[in-house]
Amino acid sequence: MRALDKKLFRDVWRMRVHALGVALVLACGLSVMVMAVGMRGSMERTRAAYYAERHMADVAVSAVRAPERIAELLEEAPGVETIETRVSGVALLDLPGVSEPPSARLVSLPIEGRPRVNDLTLARGRWPDPARANEVLLSQAFAEANNLVLNDRLDATLHGRRQTLRIVGIANSPEFVFVAAPGELFRQAKRFGVIWMNREALARAYDLDGAFNDAVLLLGRNANQAETIAAIDRILEPYGGIGAYGRDRMVSDRFLSEELRQLSTMAIFLPALFLITAAFLVNIALGRVIATERSNIGLLKAFGYSNAAVAWHYAKSALIFAAIGAFIGSAAGIALGRSVAELYRDYYHFPSLEFSASPATFIGAWAAGFAAALTGCIFSVLKAARLSPAEALTPPRPTTFFSAGPTLSRFEASLDAKSRIIMRRIVRFPRRAGTTALGVAFAIALLVVARTMPAEMDYLLDVNFGVANRQDVSLTFTEARDSTVLHQVERLPGVVYAEPFRLDDVILRHNGRTVHEAVFGVPEHARLSQIVGRGQRVMAAPATGIALARALAQKLGAQLGDEIRLEQTRGRRIATSVRVTAIVEPMIGSSAYMEIAALSRLMREPGRISGAHLRMDTSRYDAFNREIKEIPGIAGVSFVGQAEASMRSEFEQGIGVMNFIYAAFAAIMAGGVAFSAARITLAEQERDLATLRVLGFTRLEVSYILVGELMALALIAIPAGLALGTFLSIWLMQLFQTDMYAFPFVFNPAGYAFAVAFTLGCVGAAAMVVRAGIDKLDMIAVLKARD
Amino acid sequence: MINAAPSDQPTPLFALRGICRTYGEGQTAVRALIDVNLDISGGELIVLLGPSGSGKSTLLNILGGLDRPSEGAIQFRGAALTGLSEQALTRYRRQHVGFIFQFYNLIPSLTARENVELVGEITDDPLDAAEALELVGLGQRLDHFPSQLSGGEQQRVAVARAIAKRPAVLLCDEPTGALDVKTGVRVLEALQEVNQRYGSTTLIVTHNGDVARMGARVIRFGDGRVRSVETNTARVQPSDLVW
Ligand SMILES: Nc1ncnc2c1ncn2[C@@H]1O[C@H](COP(=O)(O)OP(=O)(O)O)[C@@H](O)[C@H]1O
Ligand SMILES: [Mg+2]
Repeated sequence: MRALDKKLFRDVWRMRVHALGVALVLACGLSVMVMAVGMRGSMERTRAAYYAERHMADVAVSAVRAPERIAELLEEAPGVETIETRVSGVALLDLPGVSEPPSARLVSLPIEGRPRVNDLTLARGRWPDPARANEVLLSQAFAEANNLVLNDRLDATLHGRRQTLRIVGIANSPEFVFVAAPGELFRQAKRFGVIWMNREALARAYDLDGAFNDAVLLLGRNANQAETIAAIDRILEPYGGIGAYGRDRMVSDRFLSEELRQLSTMAIFLPALFLITAAFLVNIALGRVIATERSNIGLLKAFGYSNAAVAWHYAKSALIFAAIGAFIGSAAGIALGRSVAELYRDYYHFPSLEFSASPATFIGAWAAGFAAALTGCIFSVLKAARLSPAEALTPPRPTTFFSAGPTLSRFEASLDAKSRIIMRRIVRFPRRAGTTALGVAFAIALLVVARTMPAEMDYLLDVNFGVANRQDVSLTFTEARDSTVLHQVERLPGVVYAEPFRLDDVILRHNGRTVHEAVFGVPEHARLSQIVGRGQRVMAAPATGIALARALAQKLGAQLGDEIRLEQTRGRRIATSVRVTAIVEPMIGSSAYMEIAALSRLMREPGRISGAHLRMDTSRYDAFNREIKEIPGIAGVSFVGQAEASMRSEFEQGIGVMNFIYAAFAAIMAGGVAFSAARITLAEQERDLATLRVLGFTRLEVSYILVGELMALALIAIPAGLALGTFLSIWLMQLFQTDMYAFPFVFNPAGYAFAVAFTLGCVGAAAMVVRAGIDKLDMIAVLKARD
Repeated sequence: MINAAPSDQPTPLFALRGICRTYGEGQTAVRALIDVNLDISGGELIVLLGPSGSGKSTLLNILGGLDRPSEGAIQFRGAALTGLSEQALTRYRRQHVGFIFQFYNLIPSLTARENVELVGEITDDPLDAAEALELVGLGQRLDHFPSQLSGGEQQRVAVARAIAKRPAVLLCDEPTGALDVKTGVRVLEALQEVNQRYGSTTLIVTHNGDVARMGARVIRFGDGRVRSVETNTARVQPSDLVW
């Protein structure tokens, strides 16, 4: 077999250009696969270890005020293993040098020892001294975003009282891997953080001495979570329990799960496109080799090699292609994984997140690569196996061409002879033409996806900030105030217009289903916080009844006209019924909406508002911020306008990277396929093209036959690529859709144009490189050579 | 040295003076043509005869603008062919030269008619493709692809293709080399017909002495030199050739 192996390597060397094409296309797919699967595994392992080590809560619950002795009852509830009661709240911060006050979630630390549930890791510093009320721990992402270091001081307005806190440690918690302000769906590390402080100090600030308003629990091994939650809810009912919930509703964990889900999607979607293309490339490359190797196959068989040995010989070259691709893909996957891990590490502050792909991941990637190569070569290899030695040693029958069928013949007749050559070849070699078109279509589709997703995200931001949240600033009061407060707000420096809003945290019940959500009260003809209706058009608040976001209506199984139950979770805990009078379609969140006066009447607090949205003269922010910090009773100031700007810029950076990667992938895909196809076309037509040169055709005219074939296939591929890209975009968006976001499909013509132009450019570039071969055609040799 | 007999026309179609063609350098240099001097007048049917390797093809390639002599000068209708740029040579081939190859070199994806039309597309006043094919006796096989035609038929399509542009000169390198006698004769008949009807100067390269009998002049080659130039006084019709 040694001679045959030598031949194998000579063959592969001869096919090196195709081998490289196949290997690169495979490598693209497999690198994404290794990265995504490996990253998913790494994240999952890290999360699991982190949760286990730090006792991540299985269940959490909030209440208005529960006496500490209730903790014992909770601990005895079925399934509960450990409980940690806490005091928790949100405070406005005043940071030196930061004019817009950020806010923070405050969480109490146990009076003695470390938290038994949701324990922290200390990145720097030490634990607060229980004897010192002002010592706190600060979450790492927030500290870094605001350049806060140990021993820095920060002023916080807790429950209307200003207090100076001292940072003694920087910490992370499994509970807050992903931190977002309440009601916000985007993380803004600079604007919202977590502060852990002594229980007694915090309880004093919130008037919760000897009581708690928040509890986190660990469940035993065999606990039935639903049963435990029901028991907890029963116990906390009298104390304003809002309803316990599992990890599936803990914001941080949900975001992580979402991220993992997206990695899984990525692990399938991109590699699939590349593996299919690689299989087709192997198919045409090996088809060509076996066609030129006919007589060798005959000789091998005449020497006594079995059909299987011959088949295996050629299959091996495909496997070598795949091995090269899998090798490059694995290495690139590791490199990609490491840089993604670094991104995640910076973003999530996991204590340790190392990218490591399991052996199974690599085995899977290599297997996928080999499977693609084997699938690709099966036809050609079987052909080689079936060829009888006698037949193989006779010259191949010349390729027979035929005129296009009746439908195409009219078109064909209108072409010049050169274009007719192109068309006949496409019709004659449909599999190869199909491969080229498929690769080009995939490349276009990739780019369409890459350009559509940001456009959809953009649209989401446009609707959110252009329709639903047009305010520059939102002020939230610590408790509902009489609407006369609006006049006071209007007098703050820089305020151009103030619009009241009401926000009630409620439990909605219908058909035995329960959902914990927010009801927004907005003026009937709101100018800042508008309700988003069908087709993202502005809708007036319903004069009577409640408007439900479509996702919320679905969760409740509520229809238009249904009467649903509404229970306030705070304050007076009003329980009442209201009719569903509209289904609305906000793109972000799944809340409910009512006319503000109607809502305040329903909650038996007529005229009371929760806060105000402000349109501002932005040049007077500094004066505004100075005053706002002095006003008691303000729980939060959210700078919506700035949030939008920072969100868009962060988002654009991400897009830049993504666009680059997708463009590189598309270039390899389209360029690789076009390059392979052009090389084969040139090799097959070398004699014909040289003949044409002899007959007096110019280089340009002859080049047209080569380049034109590719361009024709690329043109055919355009509609298919655009359609596939559209389909994939819609599909991916549906996968990424949660009840937090709803994406309608957004048609982005510029993106489509780019996808087509860029891909055609890649095909053109590949064609031009191969075209140089036409200048080197040996016209004299062609006169002598037999076909 | 044997010079070609001067023709009666004042400016010959081709005038070759001291043509040498050497391949390679030094020890391994091959002298394919040595000091060839030749005048070829319009409308002649010339047979270049000589053993394999004697330089016939090399000369034909130089006349066709595919190759350049290492030394010497060629004039075509009084204008220098030597020293022309690559583009100018392409233009020369395009306008004036028809080629017929030993292995036909038809475009496999085009029918007989289309192969002829293909050349028509780069010519100002082409012959009608059907007419050209009629002339070579293939009027009934216009829409056949090369793979559906016999070798002789393919070669006759090649003749039709070559004459479609009404070339000044028709260069045929071993046009019957791959054919049997009967089909070869038909090809030669076609060539003679074309030569007579359109007056294209026709050069037929062969190593077959019998074929030479149809030429008006026979130029014999040996070891890169012109050994003799004979005017054939007893031309034989292709149909009477036997080999
Ligand atoms: N490209 C080339 N390189 C080197 N030698 C060549 C080349 N082409 C032709 N020759 C040599 O030049 C001589 C003449 O060749 P050619 O004109 O093809 O002969 P003929 O057509 O009479 O058989 C031969 O010895 C041949 O080997
Ligand atoms: Mg020869």
